[in-house]
Amino acid sequence: MLTDSLPENRQDIVFITVILLPLIILVGILIYLPAVDSLIVSFTNENLRIRRLPKFIWLENYSKLLENSEFWIVTARSLLVVALTLPLELLISLGLALLLTEVFPGRAMVRTLVLLPWMLPPIVNGFLWGWLLNGEYGALNGLLYQLGIIDEYVTWLRNPDTQVIWVAVVQTWTRFAFPTIILLAGLQSIPKDLIDAAKVDGASSWQSFKSIVLPLLMPSFAIALTIEFIAAFQIFDVIWTLTAGGSAGGAINPFTKTLMLYNYELVFRDLRIGLGAALSYLILFLSLGVAIVFVTRLYNQAVKS
Amino acid sequence: MPLYRNFNYIKRIWIYFFCAIALLWAIGPIYWIFVSSISTRMELYATPIKSWFPSEPTWDAYIRLFQGGGKYRGGDVSPTEGLMWTSLLNTLFVSIISAAFVTFLSTNAGYVFARMKFRGKGFFFFFLMLMMPLPLWVSIIALFFMISKAGLIDTLSGMIMLFIVFLLPLGIWLMSTFVREINPEIEEAATIDGCNRWQLMRWIVYPLSKSGMAAVFLVSFLTVWNNFLLPLIFTRSPDSQMLTVVLSLFVGQYEVAWEDMAAAAVVTMLPPFLIALFFQRFLIRGMTLGAVK
Repeated sequence: MLTDSLPENRQDIVFITVILLPLIILVGILIYLPAVDSLIVSFTNENLRIRRLPKFIWLENYSKLLENSEFWIVTARSLLVVALTLPLELLISLGLALLLTEVFPGRAMVRTLVLLPWMLPPIVNGFLWGWLLNGEYGALNGLLYQLGIIDEYVTWLRNPDTQVIWVAVVQTWTRFAFPTIILLAGLQSIPKDLIDAAKVDGASSWQSFKSIVLPLLMPSFAIALTIEFIAAFQIFDVIWTLTAGGSAGGAINPFTKTLMLYNYELVFRDLRIGLGAALSYLILFLSLGVAIVFVTRLYNQAVKS
Repeated sequence: MPLYRNFNYIKRIWIYFFCAIALLWAIGPIYWIFVSSISTRMELYATPIKSWFPSEPTWDAYIRLFQGGGKYRGGDVSPTEGLMWTSLLNTLFVSIISAAFVTFLSTNAGYVFARMKFRGKGFFFFFLMLMMPLPLWVSIIALFFMISKAGLIDTLSGMIMLFIVFLLPLGIWLMSTFVREINPEIEEAATIDGCNRWQLMRWIVYPLSKSGMAAVFLVSFLTVWNNFLLPLIFTRSPDSQMLTVVLSLFVGQYEVAWEDMAAAAVVTMLPPFLIALFFQRFLIRGMTLGAVK
């Protein structure tokens, strides 16, 4: 390729500089500088509520967080959201992907419509479902009542213990399209001959699904799981309008407070900047760490089986 | 043969049955929010619900929303007057400008990374890409104070700048893949004919990567439009509010009437909805490539 092997000349250097330099400066100032700044702040006891010069306390913020029971409760809740969301999401998207690999009239339309929720603002999705689940006028109540499944309206979102479940449902609704697309692409890359050969050998469709399709889908699962893990682990918007309650500076509902909401509260409500910055780094490491473990494990499994 | 056909027929029925369930799950909630927004209060608040489509559809909620502001659930004075128009225009403005900038800047940078050789290329690419998979939350906390000091808090230009920077890695990565798909011989021919790099961009690269640029533009537009966290943190006054924040205020702070909130939600989701309906191919290409890397 000629364009690739052109030697560096002055014109090209000007061209590259004019294009890249502003971007590098922008990204440097607006992403790296604040990221480093946050890290430094996380070693101080900066708190805007208290008038004092911030002092370096090094790892004290981190140890304070790790010794705080609220941190562990909130982390456990974030993991619970993940644990509830991922299986539901992958089940739905696997089912949908299998459905959409079939050839039938109207498939393109069904596909387009089914993938829609992914592209809507999550903040709307939270509100949307809050309204569907409304205890007085909600459509879910109306539907179940008409079908005779419930005798009287249920206030779905009132019980603190089940709020997290609804958060997971709405998160699933918001995100299931993405794993569907990934699994669909994975399914379409499986050679048809393989399944036909299995059929000739007398395998039932369940058997060929279990021993041919599923193992070959593992890499797609790994990708989908990782991305969905990070999305669910850092859930924010959906909860804000579904169950967090009171955006006017009121307290954030403690029963659906996940890591991101906790972090938002620490920094922008309580103004405990140092502690909040430390938490943001903990979230970063937690999501990265889990993501890496996730992928390697699934990948190994797929390779071994 | 008849048996086979019969089997197929039954399979069809099952397929459409599952399609119906899938559509109810995916589209049902969207349908209901739209129905709620055009229902009369009487019908909407009926318990148990009697009609799944309003007997007298009305645009009243939208008119109220844009003229006097959403109605309080109880009273009739509204603190939200004018909020819808301002935030709608703000959101449109910020989304279009940011997406346009991201598309332009990342096409150029994508070309540089896809086609040119220079010292430090790997380093610069890494430098620009590193933050893409990482949550930018760690930057946001310190950014808030930096932006405040710079006096850019609560301004649309500040928002646009942040969105551009946050979307650049994705844009550059997407465009460098798209530019690689262009046949290099065309560029070579143009170079031999005496085109310099800028002319090459203008006459070859931009025209030939139109669909890639459309994908980057649409994905960026959608990301900005749908974003909530940035406007939540970086805007304060009613004049610089974005739609997603206004909707959250309706839900949490102002306790606006349900039908009016439904209308506000429909307005907020309408552009993404239409884009997803008509340009889904572009979106999916951009969004999956970006997520999978």
